[in-house]
Amino acid sequence: MEDSLTLRIKEAKRKRLLEVWEAFKSNRVALATLIIIIFVILITFIGPYIAPYDPYSFDLRKARQPPSREHVLGTDELGRDILSRLLVGARYTVGISVVSIAIGASLGTLLGLISGYKGGFWDSLIQRINDVLLAFPTILLAIALVAFRGPGISSLVLAIAVSFMPVYVRLVRASVLQVVVEDYIAAAKLLGLSSWRIMLKHILPNVMSPVIVQATYHMGLAILVASALGFLGLGVPPPTPEWGSMIGTGKIYLFSAPHIVVFPGLFISITIIAFNILGDGLRDALDPRARTLLRRF
Amino acid sequence: MSLANYIIYRITQAFITFLGASLLIFLFVRLLPGDPARLIAGPEALEEDVQRIRVQLGLNKPLYEQFAVYMASLLRGDLGTSIKYGTPVLDEILTRLPYTLALAFTAEALAVAIAVPLGILAALKPRSLVSQLVSVLAVVGASLPVFWTGLMLIFIFSVELKLLPSSGSGSPRHLILPSVTLAFFLIGNLARITRAAVMESLGSNHVVTARAKGLSLSKILMRHVLRNSLVPILTVASVQLGALLGGAVVTETVFAWPGIGSLLIDSLFFRDYPLAQGVIMFTIGAFILINIVTDILYALVDPRVREILWKTV
Amino acid sequence: MSELLRVEDLRVYYHLPQGTVKAVDGVSFNLNRGEILGVAGESGSGKSTLALALAGLLRPPAVIESGRILFNGLDLTRLGESEWRKLRGKKISMIFQDPSTYLNPVYTSGFQVAEVYEAHRGGRVSKYMDLVKDLYRKVKMADPERRVHSYPHQMSGGMKQRVLISMAIAEKPDLIIADEPTSALDVTIQAEIIELLREIRAETGSSIIFITHDLALLLEIADRIMIMYAGKMVELGRSSELREKPLHPYTKGLLSVLKPERKQKLASIPGSIPSLIDPPKGCRFHPRCPMAMPECSRIQPRMTKVNGRIVSCLLYEG
Repeated sequence: MEDSLTLRIKEAKRKRLLEVWEAFKSNRVALATLIIIIFVILITFIGPYIAPYDPYSFDLRKARQPPSREHVLGTDELGRDILSRLLVGARYTVGISVVSIAIGASLGTLLGLISGYKGGFWDSLIQRINDVLLAFPTILLAIALVAFRGPGISSLVLAIAVSFMPVYVRLVRASVLQVVVEDYIAAAKLLGLSSWRIMLKHILPNVMSPVIVQATYHMGLAILVASALGFLGLGVPPPTPEWGSMIGTGKIYLFSAPHIVVFPGLFISITIIAFNILGDGLRDALDPRARTLLRRF
Repeated sequence: MSLANYIIYRITQAFITFLGASLLIFLFVRLLPGDPARLIAGPEALEEDVQRIRVQLGLNKPLYEQFAVYMASLLRGDLGTSIKYGTPVLDEILTRLPYTLALAFTAEALAVAIAVPLGILAALKPRSLVSQLVSVLAVVGASLPVFWTGLMLIFIFSVELKLLPSSGSGSPRHLILPSVTLAFFLIGNLARITRAAVMESLGSNHVVTARAKGLSLSKILMRHVLRNSLVPILTVASVQLGALLGGAVVTETVFAWPGIGSLLIDSLFFRDYPLAQGVIMFTIGAFILINIVTDILYALVDPRVREILWKTV
Repeated sequence: MSELLRVEDLRVYYHLPQGTVKAVDGVSFNLNRGEILGVAGESGSGKSTLALALAGLLRPPAVIESGRILFNGLDLTRLGESEWRKLRGKKISMIFQDPSTYLNPVYTSGFQVAEVYEAHRGGRVSKYMDLVKDLYRKVKMADPERRVHSYPHQMSGGMKQRVLISMAIAEKPDLIIADEPTSALDVTIQAEIIELLREIRAETGSSIIFITHDLALLLEIADRIMIMYAGKMVELGRSSELREKPLHPYTKGLLSVLKPERKQKLASIPGSIPSLIDPPKGCRFHPRCPMAMPECSRIQPRMTKVNGRIVSCLLYEG
């Protein structure tokens, strides 16, 4: 049984969501990138099913062929169809990045909530550890984690999640500190609600916006890091068609068969650009005043 | 608090952070899957060789003792010995450090030289082509993978136009493509933030006061607009340091530039873990140091910062 | 000649994409040497725009559409930026409302005041520090020697406002324009600042244009008061006369808010200011005017002289 207050709150939330959507929709460029990203995410799921060729089977006689009618984007140094490899590779480059950021953001948000709300000992502890993590340039931390754990999907996911997590701890903690002094939090405390309930139901919704925007930016950045690791040979091991490693193994043929390098790079670039513009669009739709606060790095 | 106090505070804080980072790396390496001694000795080593290495590296001692030894040697400046080269890690690093510094400085200088004037111009003319260019550059520049733009530049300039060397480090000409590649990554965001900072300064009330006093335009721009814009620009520049480092690692690999970035990657491939660990520790130390310098610069530029005891976002 | 400033039918418009905002729409008045002229009005009356226009600080999209501003015979509307720079800070200076945002946080207060001297006398800022200390003493700043080296964020609101005043009086200007100088301060400091301005006028003979929404303040300090409404001037006259016998209904309303009639508990003027892009036809005040006549919605009142007072109201037109 819902009383009128609860109903009105739900109504208000729905209205706000619609407002944000309207604001976002009016930014046509951002809308276009949303479509691109949905498209890319779709590919991470159905890539293997729509790929015209087997991305792993190679045929040295067909190696390094430029784009043709048979192979729309050409073949790589082992004769594999590039388009198929890109379609299947999406789940590694993009999929891993998105999932890793989701994990890192969630963990970071949780820690930020605890740090900001509980304060005291937990705050100091979490902040110290966070500072240590932040002392590493992001890519270095990722490289260290992957290198010392060995290549593979789980290493990559761990590396990205841990490297990006500290930003959320800081971001959420700062927001929590602002929200915690509001009256409705005092009211909730007086009502005797448990800390976890207050944190999750009352504080979290109010600190979500910057997290969502930052996570969107980070997904683009994570793709950059993941593909860079792949390029350096530190990511998922070959023959997995991760986009970065495709460039890494193909770079020696830059002079004779540049398409091996050009197309994966194009796919990476377009996806990252889309995430960045999407992030801008979300930021403007959620809070135009945040323009100066959130950064793409 | 005064500038001096602030500096002391920052240095102490940084030292603690460095300690923590060392611990982290120490744990990373010790928690490697497999036996470090065996890894170092190689797959064909005899059992007694492995044991010898174990004793030599003190791996048979308890963990905290190992860490103490490790920290002691770190503070002495002893970063261990490279397996591959047999020489002290620090020597290897110092030999290759100048190359990375040259690359980083040139790239940053290039980026600042192009981005800041571009940003100022875009701020002075808000709806012009320049401003739109800045917006586009900001998105594209930060989105294209550094290794890809490097390869594309090589293709255009080395292969097709045969203008510039594609790798190696023989002459200043070899520095051009790598630094341009790296600079390209940095320019977009820097220009955009400069534009935002200058626009905000231009519109601020203290500029009105400056005009009301009868100050000349150049004095207003230099003293009241640019100086106030420095803080956000410094912020971005310091955040970009991380990107600069990561970009350097990749760029050095693409162009076979003999800096510590490529040293790191090579060491990982040769499983030369002492070398890798040493490079990482060195880099972290340098990074922390640069952050302190940046913070001090902040405090110099903006007196309000000196009052802030704890950094929040 | 004791007339310092004469404004003739000044119009300042903001050309915005949504329409043209007629912020100041035909204001005329004069100011004598050593006189304190109060300008009263609600927000949106155009008084701040008028202030900026008089100091040449308007920026696009605001333009002086028409009219003249004669300062010592010189037409300010015709001046170029470089000529303005010689006037500003030296002959015409300004005091702003919110000292926190109008001072630059990265320089000391002394430095910023000394900049006035630097701008008009040349040389380096450092050699004017003693002069700044004198100014601080004059504006009754506590501990002037130390305050010169303080940063704005280390000073209170009252102190910061004294800094702005120091800047304004440094070169002993003929005209000081004070735009809501006390609105951001609390009442006790307000009184001090007002007293300070009176002393300055007495000592230096500068004229002061004091702009505020607080009519009570003006009744205390100003020699003459000009009431503005929606970009137009509605009444101008000596403060004492204005207080005794207000002519324009708007003035009457403002005064009644200050001193409510015995029976009223809370007085206010019903309604709100009209849009300045699309003002009402005829007299701009007529929608809220208790004495409105049918003609008021069609005919715009002109400025009429009534016993040494100037009023813009159809009630007084011949």
